[in-house]
Amino acid sequence: MRRAGYIVSAAWQGFWRNPVMSVASTLTVAVMLLLFAVFVMTDRGLQAAVGILESKVEVVLYLDDTAKPSDVLELRRRIENDPAVESVVYVSKDEALDRLKEIARRRPELALEDVSTNPLPNSLEVKLGNAQETRRVSGMLREEIGKGVVYDLVDNPTVVDKLLTITRVLSVGGIAVLGMMLFVTLFVIINTIRIAVHARRDEIEIKKLVGATDWFVRWPFIVEGMMVGALGAVVALGAIAAVAGPVSNALIGFLDILPVSLGANFMVQLAAGVLGFALLVGGGGATLSVRTHLAR
Amino acid sequence: MFIVGSSGAGKSTLNRLLIREELPSSGRIVIDGQDLVRMKRSQVPFLRRKVGVVFQDFKLLPNKTVAENVAFALIVTDHQPRAIREETERTLALVNLTHRRSHFPRELSGGEQQRTAIARALVNRPRILIADEPTGNLDPVTTWEIIKLLIRVQELGTTLLVSTHNAEIVNALRQRVLHLDHGAIVRDEREGLYAA
Repeated sequence: MRRAGYIVSAAWQGFWRNPVMSVASTLTVAVMLLLFAVFVMTDRGLQAAVGILESKVEVVLYLDDTAKPSDVLELRRRIENDPAVESVVYVSKDEALDRLKEIARRRPELALEDVSTNPLPNSLEVKLGNAQETRRVSGMLREEIGKGVVYDLVDNPTVVDKLLTITRVLSVGGIAVLGMMLFVTLFVIINTIRIAVHARRDEIEIKKLVGATDWFVRWPFIVEGMMVGALGAVVALGAIAAVAGPVSNALIGFLDILPVSLGANFMVQLAAGVLGFALLVGGGGATLSVRTHLAR
Repeated sequence: MFIVGSSGAGKSTLNRLLIREELPSSGRIVIDGQDLVRMKRSQVPFLRRKVGVVFQDFKLLPNKTVAENVAFALIVTDHQPRAIREETERTLALVNLTHRRSHFPRELSGGEQQRTAIARALVNRPRILIADEPTGNLDPVTTWEIIKLLIRVQELGTTLLVSTHNAEIVNALRQRVLHLDHGAIVRDEREGLYAA
């Protein structure tokens, strides 16, 4: 306890001995951690968006009015047997018209004038369980066009494809960027502690001469490194907390269809992760620095 | 005991060997039954608590007062606050600096600074005190003041090793003299003089 008290107070004094340097490295670490957190949140948000879009992926088959019900049933059964397909729903002309009327009622800019005849076709709505299969399934179903049952097909694979590409690039690129950031943060800490060690070399020499153990020589610097990391984490998390509300409101307003919420649980995990990462990098960087500069 | 010899004879190397700042390329060094060559790194701090060191340039911390400089040796060796207070006061009294306890090193004379350094070296109650040119930076009057203090320390039971170029002191005190030359002991006299 006494020893820990000494080490923490020595680390605190060390931190403020060169305040410009300490604050500068704390802010550098904070910016790194902020980028880290924003990256994790973006990744998480995009994944959620992909999930939502995936659940909405559909291929719609428009059926010939002259198609025989038995052929339609046969086609439906074949589609349902595909493992990527979650469900197939038959929508009749009348149901389609009812839906259109319902949409028109909610959106006054769409005026339905002549509804005495029904131009809408019967259709099969194919819901997919896995967005990555969209291209294959819609390709397969496209071959049915012109065989007497299906006359057209509508799908939306490009949006999903693009989103999947973005998440994949972001994951791979993100890991690379995170790796570089880890190095930058590590070097900032190593440098800060190296300067701290240099500034206190007389004190270190005397400590060694009078018989202080490694605890008393090294730990103040390691704790100082952890302080830089922890304070950086506090600054970064404070910044996130300050802007998280407005930004996520703006995003929801902007994206409209994507009610992406990260959830309080995730934010707690993120905060713990950022703090843990900061302590690890701070303590680790300082240990490396002390190891090379206090050898013997 | 005095250690004499020209510059480069090995006096400072001997001192560094005795606190295991350096390891010998061959041979053994035994202090208080412990072989320093075979000693584990983790044991070195405990050796250094048994061997106090004083230097020509004092090596005081400029931003700490006399009392804080002395107490520092106890703080970083993990002593209880009460022991730190008591031992610091005892040692300051021994070197006659109680009245200067709250002054900073820059406010002290050279002799007072060296007495502070001696107090710091003694506060852990070492068995051996090594003084490397302790009077090299001091005027003759102050030199005698420091030497008298060191003799008192020796009389209180601490083994004293003083490296010096000061012939006058060595010749006046007639203590054991070890003469080094090119790293070897060329003379060892029980009540020796500076030169043979």
